[in-house]
Formats: sequence, C-alpha cells, structure tokens
Amino acid sequence: MDQTSVVRAALIVAVATLLDAVLGPYLTFGWISPKLTLIGVVFAVSPLRDPQAVLLGFFGGILFDALGAGLFGTGALGGLLAGTLSVRAGSVRRKGTERVLLSQVVGVAVAAYDLIYLTAINLAGLRGPSFGEYVVAGVLPDALLNALLAYLIGGWLLKIGRTKSRSWEGT
Amino acid sequence: MGRRKSSSATGGLAALFILCVASLVLFTVYVKEGDGGPLHTVQLGAAEVLRPVRSVVAAGAAPVSEAQQKVESAFDTGEEERLQRRVRETEELAAQASRLERENARLRELLEGERTFYEYGPLARVVAPVGDQFTETIMIDVGTEDGMEPNKPVVIGANTLVGRTTEKVSKSTAEVMLVTDQMFAAGVRIIPPAQFDPASGELSPAVTTEDVSYGEGLLRTNLEGYFGVDYVDVSSRAEEGDYVVTSGRAGGRELLFPPGLLVGTVESVSSQDTVQYKTIVVDPAMNPDDLEEVRVIVDW
Repeated sequence: MDQTSVVRAALIVAVATLLDAVLGPYLTFGWISPKLTLIGVVFAVSPLRDPQAVLLGFFGGILFDALGAGLFGTGALGGLLAGTLSVRAGSVRRKGTERVLLSQVVGVAVAAYDLIYLTAINLAGLRGPSFGEYVVAGVLPDALLNALLAYLIGGWLLKIGRTKSRSWEGT
Repeated sequence: MGRRKSSSATGGLAALFILCVASLVLFTVYVKEGDGGPLHTVQLGAAEVLRPVRSVVAAGAAPVSEAQQKVESAFDTGEEERLQRRVRETEELAAQASRLERENARLRELLEGERTFYEYGPLARVVAPVGDQFTETIMIDVGTEDGMEPNKPVVIGANTLVGRTTEKVSKSTAEVMLVTDQMFAAGVRIIPPAQFDPASGELSPAVTTEDVSYGEGLLRTNLEGYFGVDYVDVSSRAEEGDYVVTSGRAGGRELLFPPGLLVGTVESVSSQDTVQYKTIVVDPAMNPDDLEEVRVIVDW
C-alpha cells in the first residue's frame, strides 16, 4: 500500500520552493512564470490530513516569501490556498485520475495566487496592471501553462512523494 | 473512523483560518515596516545565502539567454537579414578567441571613463535578476563592504543611468531598481542632441542658463504602461531624438541623481489641446538583458 510521509512531502515542497526562487526570475515571461512552489505543494500534500496539508502549504508559501523578493504574505496565502484545494481534491479522487485532477487544482491555485498578488499590489499602493488586461493576458495563460507543466511532471512528483509500506504497516 | 475524519477537517479549517490571519498580518507588517524592517531583512539574508547559487545559475543561464535572443530575432527577419546574421555569427565565432582580451579592454575603458568630481564604487558584476513579474530589479556583487549605500545612482560606462540601489544592501550584495521599474522616478531634462555629449555627459553651457526653456519633468513608467516623462509643460521644447538626462535639482533641492546622467532618447512627443502636459515616450539607453557590469556613484 502507498503512503505519504509528512517529512518527504515537506522536502518536496522545500526543494520546489528553492528551485522556484532560484530559477523563477529566468523563466518569467511578462506575467507568466512557472509556479513550482504551488505545483510542489499541490502534489505533495494531497494525500495528507487537513491540518498537515494546510500547514505544509503555509510553510511552502512563507519559504517562498522569504527566499523571493515579492510582497511577504502573498506566497503564504497562495500556499495555504493550494494546500487546502489539494487536500479537498485528494479526498474525492478516483484511482488513475489523480494526476489530471491535481493538474487542474494547480491551474486554479495559480489563478488564485495571481489574483491575490494583484490585490496585494494594489493594497500596497503599487501600480499594477488593469484587472481585465491582467486576467486575459496574465492569469489565464499562467494558469493553463502551469497546469500543463504540473501534468507533465505530476506523475514523477506523485511517484517520489509516495512510500511503499510493508505489509504489516498497511492498516 | 468518521469521527476522526470530521475532527481532521475541523482542525484543518481552524488551521486554515489562523494561518490566513497570520498571512494577512505578515503582509500588513511587510508593507508598513519600510525597507529596513525584520521581514525585509529576512529577504535580504535569504538573498545573501542564495547568492552563490544564483551566481552559478546566472553563469549557466547566459548561453541559454543568448540562444533565446538569437531564436527570437530569427523569427522577425527576412532571408537577407538571416544571411547577414549568419555572416555575423561566423565573425563572432572567429572573434571568440579574443573575447577575454576585449572584455579586459572594455573593463579598462569603463574604469578610465570616470567623470571628474564623482566618486565611483568598484566595478560590480550583475549577479542575477530578482523580483517578480511586476518589478525590474537586479542584484550586483558589491555591498556595504565596498562602500555601497542605499539610494545611490547606478550607471554603465561613466554616464548612462541604469537605476538606483534600493534599501536592500547587504555586506556583499546590493539590489538595484532599474529605471524601467514601475516604482522608479527621477527628475529629468530634455536636451537637444547638439547640446549634450552622451559619451562624456557634458552639457552645453546654454543648457544651464535660466532663459532656455527645455522640457523638464518626471521620468517614470507611466500609468498607461509606457516609459516616459510626465509633467512636461506644453510650451517647453521637446522633440523626437532629444536626449533625456537627469536634472540633478528640483528648485533648490538636491535630488537622488547628479545632473547629466543619460537616461534615453525621446521616441515620440504628442500633446492635446485640453491637456496641460506633453506625452513623451522615452527609449531607454540601457537594455536590462545586456547588463553585465555596472558601477555605483557613491558621491558627487
């Protein structure tokens, strides 16, 4: 039987966040960039219990805030949302469709994060783009591309995120 | 079993609520604390820790960026231009052996081009781009140990303004906000080409006399998204091809930048009868993708 270790999930989230912070600036094209942190959170926490998933999402987000140069707190909110959506999706998943379902969750989480960031920028008094323009040219392609990226690497993430338990532990 | 699931979901909801509040508190503190606050310090420390990794990635990404630029340019040119480019690429390959020598010469030229009365920091290498899709910032490999301070002008060559250092200056790194960042602003003048030498940064004496009404305004990335000069009076002189240079003073107040630093050239000028100011779009003199070495003017 497959299980997910919290430590392993935390490691996946941490590595994804680190990669995001280091590689992200090079892979940003306008308003579109790979959100590796959110992808890591979604795929790592989906089989965990609610409090663990939420905490890990927050952990990933806050780590991203610390390592990046964006507005502190927005990553944490985005991570929280990704963790919550992922664990909710995880509770209704059907065998064999997990990867597709979680890729969709990534798309939704990325769209939500983009909107959170736009709101935060406006709240902080910075000049952001207009809402309509940002949604069409930023949020939608960003969500779609990240969902696609999540689908492509999702199988591998699910594989490394699970541990095979021995028969006497499988209860 | 059902009870355990229910208690897990309740715990999850409680954790979600508490952590949402915590995130909002962190955001509020971050926005209110200013650049020297604890959360900004955390980001600065993390940037310092990640500096070696970013340097390695930057070195690895350089050929990829060059290839990317070549691919991009390949799509928007005709056959003739493609052949010409191929010739240029062949020439580049032939010249690659002397690349280090040329770089050496270039760096020496940068050091020799210093303007009198200005105190420059050491030559700084651009370590990595930082920030997100809404910011235009870079990190350079000089910090407080090299005499860097916040809010100092950063130039390429002796005279071309790149941006300014932000409050995020650590021992060995400094963050630079580029002129094209939405938060950047500088007082500028619009000078005809005949009266400004972009190589030396020397202004013609006529520019400094008070009776000449050249355009003056605030350089920034406009609300509409273009890089330009705001608040230039319709009666002031401003034409396409004019140089945009820092003004250095606003009335009696000394500004962040010394006078005469080149920012770019005027790309277009337009005005409407009902508006008091001209709309001026500027073509920046620096290209963020081409930045390799810069210098900070620490005093003037």
